[in-house]
Amino acid sequence: MSAAASAPTGGEVLLRAERLERRFGGLTAISDFSFELREGEILGLIGPNGAGKSTTFNLISGFIRPSSGRLVVMGRDVTGASAMTISRLGLVRTFQHNSLLSEMSVIDNILIGTYHHRSGHERRMEKVREVAGMTGLTDHLKAIAGNLPHGLQRMLSIAIALAAEPRILCLDEPLTGLQGAEVGAALDLFEALRTTHGLTILLVEHNMRAVMRACDRVIVLNYGRLLAEGSPEAVSRDEAVIEAYLGRGR
Amino acid sequence: MLNRSSGVWICVALAIGAVLFALLATNPYYTSLVVWILTNAVLASALRFVLQIGELNIATAAFFGIGAYTAAITAVLFGWPFWLTLVLAPLVAATLSALFGWVTLRAKGPYFLLISFAVTEVIRLIYTQTNAIGGNSGLVGMFPPMAIDAYYPALAVALLAATLFALYGVERSDLGRMFMAIKNNDAIPRSVGLNVVFLKVLCVVIAAAAVGLAGGLHAYANNVIAPADFTYFVAILALAYVKIGGEGHPFGPVLGAAVLTLVGQWVAGISAWENIFYGAVIVATVLAFPGGLVGLATRARSLVIRSGQ
Ligand SMILES: Nc1ncnc2c1ncn2[C@@H]1O[C@H](COP(=O)(O)OP(=O)(O)OP(=O)(O)O)[C@@H](O)[C@H]1O
Ligand SMILES: [Mg+2]
Repeated sequence: MSAAASAPTGGEVLLRAERLERRFGGLTAISDFSFELREGEILGLIGPNGAGKSTTFNLISGFIRPSSGRLVVMGRDVTGASAMTISRLGLVRTFQHNSLLSEMSVIDNILIGTYHHRSGHERRMEKVREVAGMTGLTDHLKAIAGNLPHGLQRMLSIAIALAAEPRILCLDEPLTGLQGAEVGAALDLFEALRTTHGLTILLVEHNMRAVMRACDRVIVLNYGRLLAEGSPEAVSRDEAVIEAYLGRGR
Repeated sequence: MLNRSSGVWICVALAIGAVLFALLATNPYYTSLVVWILTNAVLASALRFVLQIGELNIATAAFFGIGAYTAAITAVLFGWPFWLTLVLAPLVAATLSALFGWVTLRAKGPYFLLISFAVTEVIRLIYTQTNAIGGNSGLVGMFPPMAIDAYYPALAVALLAATLFALYGVERSDLGRMFMAIKNNDAIPRSVGLNVVFLKVLCVVIAAAAVGLAGGLHAYANNVIAPADFTYFVAILALAYVKIGGEGHPFGPVLGAAVLTLVGQWVAGISAWENIFYGAVIVATVLAFPGGLVGLATRARSLVIRSGQ
């Protein structure tokens, strides 16, 4: 592991996972997985299909509970806490599949993100317009989410999360199915969220070129275990990582 | 096209018309029929209200019964004043539904449906086994105070109509939007910090308060209630009203209740066939026009508009 390259930011630790383990019946989806997310960084989480990336998201966002291990968010032990609690602490995740309210309008989708912290319809709508502006949805506010083109649907799922005003944003494959220019715009958005909005981002992504461009640091999961950790360049040259990807025929 | 606010005003006019009719009609058969239509409209609207979070709550029938029994017990057995008993009916129904929801709403879909069915039948059995509240024969003698006896149907219609507007108001509010989100994909509201279990319980509680009040009003309108009035079948009929009127629109259940209650008056004459008739109507509606009467009207209107161009 190239630990030397893994400390580009000196920020405070916002999320710490300690020896997480999650079993599904006989299958151990995550085991002995520890990592930290520091304020202001964009951390990539990569790994072959089925490596346990989405399971990790479910664990850190409180959607499922770890079989063992500990989870600390914003300095608070949230092991076993509900999704509501963790989200209200400022960690908000998006979904790889079914990532929006497909039968509802774009406005309603984004509004749902504002309810737990904003009061008054005008203040909520202000937030909706702000977030829609950032994600390129301003001209589609009245559309039904399920009818949007695929690229805008991916942006809408990010918009819902942003409306909740997170400090940590966890994105599960936000670039899947985006066209060339859309990928660039999304990466610019991530960078802007970090620099101008002070967000910390955990990014799961299969698009390696995008990961190289966007992330300060990358951790690699394989069969539910930490395989490597370091700068994007270091990780992409790591023998074990190359082996893991090639070994699965990707 | 009818816009939303003119639709609401038409409903307000309809409600005022119903109250006036209940006030002025001299034939008690007609006045009690209007009360019964609105009672069914509230039952159907409350059932649809919980369908907003994607659950079919058979216990709608149970909370209607709890409202009726609450009013009847406090009035007949305790001799408490009319207005107090009418306030208690929705309160007790809402309180018990909170307990019910808290325990059962972790289950979804068919599981929740079955539990709500079982709860309804258990509560009915408790009535039949409790001699203090009349067992199988129920309770008699709930009368509105003499002073308002003549106006009671109008009062009941006014309160039931107000209940319908209240349910509609909640549906159109932020809370209604959260309910819809839970039905569409409950992971999304959970991911942005909403308390989904609490919201689902709240939805069931609001609907239970509505049918609880309707139950209390029914006790006074009917003067007699019995366990057999509150079987799961009450909820099945309410579902028929919803499906026939149209689930997609808040006016659907009201229209469905009005049409089927009126038709039911006529079918009741061929009593043995009554339930078969309802069953056939439900099946035919769901197959032939899934949007119900309201959906049919919307389709017809868009056809007219298109051919007019
Ligand atoms: N709820 C569940 N029940 C049983 N097994 C599960 C469950 N969720 C995930 N798994 C299993 O855990 C393993 C990790 O799955 P996960 O979805 O986390 O992978 P992933 O890294 O996100 O993959 P992908 O890149 O395809 O999205 C897989 O073998 C998967 O089948
Ligand atoms: Mg995944």
